[in-house]
Amino acid sequence: MSERNCARCILAIQRPSRRWVNRVLFAIWLAMLVTLAGCAGDKSILDPAGQAARDVRFIWWVMLGFGTVVLIGVTACWLYAFKPRDVVRTPAQERRIARRWIVGGGIILPVASITALLAFGVPAGQRMLPLPISDPPDVIEVIGHQWWFEVRYLQAQGSDQEGNNVVVTANHLVMPVGEPVDFHVSGADVIHGFWIPRLGGKIDMIPGRVNKIRLEADIPAVFGAQCAELCGVGHANMHLYVEAMPREEFDTWLASRQDEQLSEAATADTAHDDAREAFLNHCASCHRVAGVSSGTIGPDLSDIGSRATLGAGVIAMEEGAVSRWLKHHQSLKPGNKMPAHDDLEMDTLDALGAWLETLTP
Amino acid sequence: MKSVNQEAVEHDPQQLHEELHDIWGNPKGIKALTIVNHTTLGLRFMVTGMVFFLIGGILAMLVRTQLAMPDQDFMSPDIYNQVTTMHGTVMMFLFAIPMLEGLAIYLIPKMIGARDLVCPRLTSLGYFCYLFGGIILTFSLIIEMAPSSGWFMYTPLSSSEYAPGLGSDFWLLGITFVEISAVSAGVELVVSILRTRTQGMALHKMPLFAWYILAMALMIVIGFPPLILASVLLELERAVGMPFFEIAGGGDPILWQHLFWLFGHPEVYIIFLPAAGIVSTLIPVFAGRPIVGYGWVVFAIIVTGFISFGLWVHHMFTVGIPQLAQAFFSAASMLVAVPTAIQVFVWLATLWLGKPKMKLPMLWVMGFLIIFVCGGLTGVMLALVPFNWQVHDTHFVVAHMHYVLVGGMFFPLIAGLYYWLPLFSGRMPSENLGRWGFWLTFLGFNGTFLIMHWTGLLGMPRRVYTYEAGSGWEIYNLLSSVSSFVLSAGIAMVLLDIALHFRFGKPAKHNPWNADTLEWANSMPPSAYNFISLPNVETRHPLWDDPKLPYTMAEGKHGLAVPVHGRREMWGTDPITGKVREIIHLPGNSWWPLLAAAALAVVCISLLVRVYALAGIFVLIAGVFLLRWSWENGAHPIAAPEAAVAPGDPPLHSRTMDGPGLWAMAVFLLANGSFFLSYLFGWFYLWTVSPEWRMPDTSPLSLPLLAAAGIAIAAGAVVMEKLVRGLRHQCDDRLRVGLYLAGTLGAVQVALTAWVLYSANLSPTQTSHDAVLLVGLIYVLFHGGLAVVLTLMQGLRVGYGYVGTHAPFEPAVVTQLWRYNVVTFLVLVGSIAILPRVVGG
Amino acid sequence: MDAMLKRLHLTHPLHFVVGLTLWCIWFIAVYGGHAVACEAFAPAPEQGVFTLLNGGLLIVSIVTTGLLLLLTWGCYVVAKQHQGRDRFNAVVSAGLYLFSAFSVVFVALPIIGVPPCL
Repeated sequence: MSERNCARCILAIQRPSRRWVNRVLFAIWLAMLVTLAGCAGDKSILDPAGQAARDVRFIWWVMLGFGTVVLIGVTACWLYAFKPRDVVRTPAQERRIARRWIVGGGIILPVASITALLAFGVPAGQRMLPLPISDPPDVIEVIGHQWWFEVRYLQAQGSDQEGNNVVVTANHLVMPVGEPVDFHVSGADVIHGFWIPRLGGKIDMIPGRVNKIRLEADIPAVFGAQCAELCGVGHANMHLYVEAMPREEFDTWLASRQDEQLSEAATADTAHDDAREAFLNHCASCHRVAGVSSGTIGPDLSDIGSRATLGAGVIAMEEGAVSRWLKHHQSLKPGNKMPAHDDLEMDTLDALGAWLETLTP
Repeated sequence: MKSVNQEAVEHDPQQLHEELHDIWGNPKGIKALTIVNHTTLGLRFMVTGMVFFLIGGILAMLVRTQLAMPDQDFMSPDIYNQVTTMHGTVMMFLFAIPMLEGLAIYLIPKMIGARDLVCPRLTSLGYFCYLFGGIILTFSLIIEMAPSSGWFMYTPLSSSEYAPGLGSDFWLLGITFVEISAVSAGVELVVSILRTRTQGMALHKMPLFAWYILAMALMIVIGFPPLILASVLLELERAVGMPFFEIAGGGDPILWQHLFWLFGHPEVYIIFLPAAGIVSTLIPVFAGRPIVGYGWVVFAIIVTGFISFGLWVHHMFTVGIPQLAQAFFSAASMLVAVPTAIQVFVWLATLWLGKPKMKLPMLWVMGFLIIFVCGGLTGVMLALVPFNWQVHDTHFVVAHMHYVLVGGMFFPLIAGLYYWLPLFSGRMPSENLGRWGFWLTFLGFNGTFLIMHWTGLLGMPRRVYTYEAGSGWEIYNLLSSVSSFVLSAGIAMVLLDIALHFRFGKPAKHNPWNADTLEWANSMPPSAYNFISLPNVETRHPLWDDPKLPYTMAEGKHGLAVPVHGRREMWGTDPITGKVREIIHLPGNSWWPLLAAAALAVVCISLLVRVYALAGIFVLIAGVFLLRWSWENGAHPIAAPEAAVAPGDPPLHSRTMDGPGLWAMAVFLLANGSFFLSYLFGWFYLWTVSPEWRMPDTSPLSLPLLAAAGIAIAAGAVVMEKLVRGLRHQCDDRLRVGLYLAGTLGAVQVALTAWVLYSANLSPTQTSHDAVLLVGLIYVLFHGGLAVVLTLMQGLRVGYGYVGTHAPFEPAVVTQLWRYNVVTFLVLVGSIAILPRVVGG
Repeated sequence: MDAMLKRLHLTHPLHFVVGLTLWCIWFIAVYGGHAVACEAFAPAPEQGVFTLLNGGLLIVSIVTTGLLLLLTWGCYVVAKQHQGRDRFNAVVSAGLYLFSAFSVVFVALPIIGVPPCL
């Protein structure tokens, strides 16, 4: 279900026709699809893929059921009170009826409900705490930037506590399935929000602080995520592509992103010498490519060819996507911090794009 | 109690009306700007609030248009952020609060049998600050420079680095300016309710609406100052570079969130309580019986007022606060369900035991009930931390918030407007158009926001200007958008109905709903003085227990009916028992409020365009206007030069030691104290929590100098206390010298504190430690300076003969400020100069 | 002085706000004390719930609850001796003290189940 959804969303990322008729038809088609598919969606908290999110969904349905009963009950009583009645009551009877309503509905009902809720709810939150456990989980650092996610794998081979030699990617998070992972999140500039709805969460990414959250994925799948805290003009265009895979696959994935392999991929092919040259002149001060440049302002591009999306989820990665992005990124993602490349020849941009797409381990 | 002046002789009502009208009547033309009357100003507040409501509503329509379909480019992200920010800001600060304050300003004196609010010129100042602040803020939309960091203005997004334009400054300065209005209305509503109820109306006999407004006003007084402080600090950071919220300089962006929500959560109840007050007023009237459980409701109001200050962190469950602390706030948030449920069931029991009629206002009350209970239930859900983590910052919260605010404020407000329309205009609303308006609004509202819960559960975050097709959110957004237009059609119909009724409504008969409270003893529409005579009221339902009361009041058969002295007068009564203590004489129309507000507006604009010299000059000018205003008090020729009262009547308040000014000063100091405590909270918060906080090894503040300053201010306060004690015993020997002496001692304290500041050699743009110290010392300096100016002015007034044993009131008011200054000075020195020396960095 | 003493009497409306003010002070003390303690000497996460910090917070809460219940009882007794306004004030105050006591207990519940500083 989730793969299909995601494939659909990547397809749909090809901006649909501007004609509104199409859009309405499209919306109706989608509505039918969604209604048939229940409440699924790659960011739906009602379609959990981890225990933490599953607990919350359970709590939600219970609360919804109880809340509906209360709402209908109270409304029905109010409406019933408008029914004309010819009852004569003594003041003592009136006082008794009033006290029953107020004590029963005003005190016992809410006190019982909130006590149950608290007893029920507090333990559910414990699961997402980074409590010490016997087998310490992997730590993945995620840093929010305006408007992209930097992902750092501290468990990568050869990396040390000071953060040297860690594997760094951008907007593409890979995690092992079936085991808890600790996410240490922070913000580089303003406050962003880290949230993978189908796994649980969320937690703010605050500059100067590191917040920790523990999440676990049950199934190997792709999950949607996007920044949850208003962070400026690019807020809506700040997505994170989350991929959960079995442990061995994850280890292979991580191992293949060691600097040597990546620089090999970046420098081996002499056919792209011109593009590399242009990259060094125009891009290198912001972007890092292993073995080529070491800029840290923009996303690390060392394995960009293997990522699912470009521009933090704005367009899907496919042939020619990078050059399209380079030409039109300010209209695809308004306000993003990369300067428009008006001064560069189209050919140069195409060459750059072609080379960058080869950067894959 | 034997009421005062009750067996007056027969009066001619027409003549009494004319005499009172000469004193209280509103001027026409340009002089209408000087009006201080609560009826006129209450209406102005409400009409202005409605205009801002329309602006906020149009912004909401823009948002829904943009989100109707995926991938729209109807608005650019920057404009979209401006629109959403301004929608929230306008609705909260320029509509909800001022609208309800306007209603309270209009109704409270009428309900408690007074002729005006107790500080009429303050009402006027509040109105103009609101108007000018609102205009400045909305002007930013026109020049496309509106704030765009969300109505909550989280730093660092709103800081000068990430919001370089003027947008954030518009917000910070404009809102602070508008808040002057909120706080001043809060102060005078508190004092009016406590001190100017008509004779005999004991605390436990006053209308429930007054209880609700009392709680709301006190909450404004305590709840708004944290935001004022936060705005001042952020503006200082933006303008001068003091790093209060910037990590590198030792500040912390989370401090902003704490201060904002310390205000922001009580704010929700500040909006809800008066609306619940409307419901509690309407239900007994339409059920035809007294409310059951008056005491229960009072209980619920007080509980809500307090508990709502203990919930602010539930807006911050995702910032990474320890789980145990979150659990405290989670539990406290759930507790609010109890007083709310009590009220809902009190209303239900009242209907159950009465014979309710589904008139148009009751229809809106029913709408309120359904929507508000729904919003309350989702509110309890959101109080649960794990659930909150999932839906925080999604459209679920947007939906919840609108259920609470529209359900909890807008529906009761419209119910109240329909209910009091005959009082405003003397005409009845139409049942037909009104019902159409209700159903469209009700269905449109639920269509928009019920669905939005679902959109949020499907993972759609808040404040995104667009979403891609294929996300699964399309159909729900489309339905929300379509419904939102139905909602606006409904609201348009309601407003049309209200507008048309002024022209076409059937003339209303007196007390058309057969209500029980005193406001219906007014003529319809009311005259500027409200009541020809002020009755003795010892019941909660004066018009039910004595249906003839409006007539006997109009015939002048009760208190204060003889206006030969030419003063604006009403009772000053005991806050608990309602026994008459003195006659309060109120100031008449005045230009000073308008001039002061205009000067403050210039200050606001010059700060905005960063012409600080001009701002400084106009701060002084505003100060002069305000002092000139305060000059026209007490025995001043424009106020009450003659103190003669009718035989048997109590003395004028300015001739006693017990005027409402004492209370106004006390309540103002409560607000000030809340500001000061917020400052201390900031200091201790940064000290303990801020990641990069740097405490110098030795405090830069000189203790000997501070000790000397402390001795000077304490000595000044002692002198003031002695003078007041003397006045209490009818002795004004050396009053003038004493006042000048106290003023000089105060000046010594100011000079010494200034020296401390100068010798500390702070670098407030480098570290937040120094910046916080600077703000604290400036606070002390400002208050010390204020006490000096006011004390010296009292000395002058003694010379003019406005103050003395014959008019001993004013020094007692100033002395309160002295006491406050001594306490804050000592606490501040203890916190920022002594404690760091004791415990070290 | 007389007026001051009157305010202490349990039929004075001042008691409408005393209970909840105590609740607020307790709340600030517990929340603030907890925050400062977590910054200054956070107990090791392995200790779970059984830390000095939880114990201290619990004791403060129990003492506050006791005080509030005492005041509730006082108001209740006084209410029975009066009629009219004084009775109204004492009854409402008793209710508010009781609710404040309940609020302390309710908000303090997590102290027995949640480890601090995480």
